[in-house]
Amino acid sequence: MEKRSLLQRFIARPEFGPFVLLAILLIVFYVINPTFLSTLNIGNVLAFAPELGIIALAMTLLLTAGEIDLSVGSVFGFSAVIMWTLFNSGVASLEIAFVLAMALSLVIGFCSGFMVTRMKIPSFLVTLGMLLVVRGSALYITDGFPQRTWDASGSWLAELLVGDFYIGELRVWASLLWFILLAVIIGYVLTQTKRGNWILASGGNANSARARGVRVNATKISLFMLTAALAAFAGIISSIRTSAANPNSGTGYELEVIAMVVIGGTSMAGGRGTIIGTVLGVFILRIMRNGIILIGVPGLAYNIFVGAIILGMMALHSWLERRHNAGV
Amino acid sequence: MTDLVRMEHIEKYFGRVQALNDVSFNVKEREIVGLLGDNGAGKSTLIKILSGALTATSGDIYIKDQKADIRNTGDAIRYGIETIYQDSALVPQLSIARNLFMGREPVKGRFGQLDQAHMNEVASNLLKQVGISKPIPPTTPISALSGGERQAVAIARAMYFESDLIILDEPTNNLGVEETQGVLRFVRNARDSGHSCIFIAHNIYHVFQVVDRIVVLRRGKKVADDIDPKKTTIEAVEHIITGMVEA
Ligand SMILES: Nc1ncnc2c1ncn2[C@@H]1O[C@H](COP(=O)(O)OP(=O)(O)OP(=O)(O)O)[C@@H](O)[C@H]1O
Ligand SMILES: [Mg+2]
Repeated sequence: MEKRSLLQRFIARPEFGPFVLLAILLIVFYVINPTFLSTLNIGNVLAFAPELGIIALAMTLLLTAGEIDLSVGSVFGFSAVIMWTLFNSGVASLEIAFVLAMALSLVIGFCSGFMVTRMKIPSFLVTLGMLLVVRGSALYITDGFPQRTWDASGSWLAELLVGDFYIGELRVWASLLWFILLAVIIGYVLTQTKRGNWILASGGNANSARARGVRVNATKISLFMLTAALAAFAGIISSIRTSAANPNSGTGYELEVIAMVVIGGTSMAGGRGTIIGTVLGVFILRIMRNGIILIGVPGLAYNIFVGAIILGMMALHSWLERRHNAGV
Repeated sequence: MTDLVRMEHIEKYFGRVQALNDVSFNVKEREIVGLLGDNGAGKSTLIKILSGALTATSGDIYIKDQKADIRNTGDAIRYGIETIYQDSALVPQLSIARNLFMGREPVKGRFGQLDQAHMNEVASNLLKQVGISKPIPPTTPISALSGGERQAVAIARAMYFESDLIILDEPTNNLGVEETQGVLRFVRNARDSGHSCIFIAHNIYHVFQVVDRIVVLRRGKKVADDIDPKKTTIEAVEHIITGMVEA
């Protein structure tokens, strides 16, 4: 094998495509409308990005392990509804309600994981069913009405989840710090640890991994639980930030999250995943959404661009793959 | 020499089809056994029972004279039995080093961090030991290797983790001349370092080059057990396989 230059190795990495795309988007949007890089607008992007981003981190691991979770958008809406319903009805304090909502999300994740691994039903179908069950529950519990959310300021839990502070002019939300922290931890786990190797092996060749003593089912179940938990976490953060717990919130998020992950270079087929790529993918889609409006493209055209970017990135990834045979 | 593995009176039915009919089969320590037979003779079925991919309808397995209960491939690996197919045993997206240590990753520190430096070092040495001559970095993904090199990685893994018995089911299929010679060399190296092997191949020339003893199956029955390749000819063995002569 010949020695490759640093540049060549960088180009061969799955994160190369999304990195270039993000740079291009930043430049194009800035040139057309310089307010795009104003402190206020950067603050806006950084406020929204972590919520879907947190889910995308977990989804990256799940796709890498060869599975998928379509129920994340439902869990996102459901958990906030549960927390606020418990709190509003006086059954529990906010802290207890938070813990209960998170625990319930772990149960949901466990059920999905159990059905996928033990009953051998494809995760696409299991989580499609779960999407409907969870969304239906949220609607049923609330009669379809948004839950009253009380002004969360002053609660230490709310401060911890979505408090904000200023760096100079830039308003930073605690959710961004959560996103960064989780990205670092999850990225480390995936690339540097035994657990990460098991995730990669489970997605790459589950049978041979199992034969070698890798606990494939346990690995996958724990990832379904992590994904549901982070979807719930994101939903609760979002509900506090926007002071709204709507049983319909999060609808369609599953597709946006999956788009972020695959744009970043993670393989839908399993066995290959990148957290750095996912972080890039998260910002690519959030910046698209934000920038398109700023430069005056009708917001309704957003999906055309997202779709085109997904297709373009898939073409790029498959081309790079054939050329470089990139691996871990 | 003592028996490493002994299979006694193995019967296997698939529905009403009898794939194995009262087959007894043994492998001694430091022995390479060639398992021959026509298509459908039952070779793969027999070794799959030993490697835990299938379970026998009846019959017993003894490993080092202890009765063994092999229900899945994990059990077989714990008993020291490693099976190598063309590529099904490796994860193509992962590196050579990560594949070698899959399921038994060395870790350091408190957070389960992989000891990648150690993994890469061991992998490099092993690749040399099995006889891969060109320098392949241990971080190369399996998907970038040739069929023969993949076999080498699988054999290296079996050797490193002290598998007593390495089973190779048609390991030279789809391989070129040089790669085939490579695999045969890996098998000999494995035996020389104390491992036993079961070698299945349709190409009798390949079998004759490496094995110590030949066993022949025909239509689910064992028809020859103790053929010494040094004392017979390829034609004679072919006749036994096709049933033109009884052994
Ligand atoms: N899963 C199965 N279900 C039903 N029948 C099977 C199954 N596996 C094998 N058989 C039958 O068992 C018999 C032995 O098959 P086996 O695969 O062991 O043969 P083989 O000696 O390995 O042949 P080949 O040289 O072609 O690989 C065949 O008649 C085959 O059709
Ligand atoms: Mg066969």
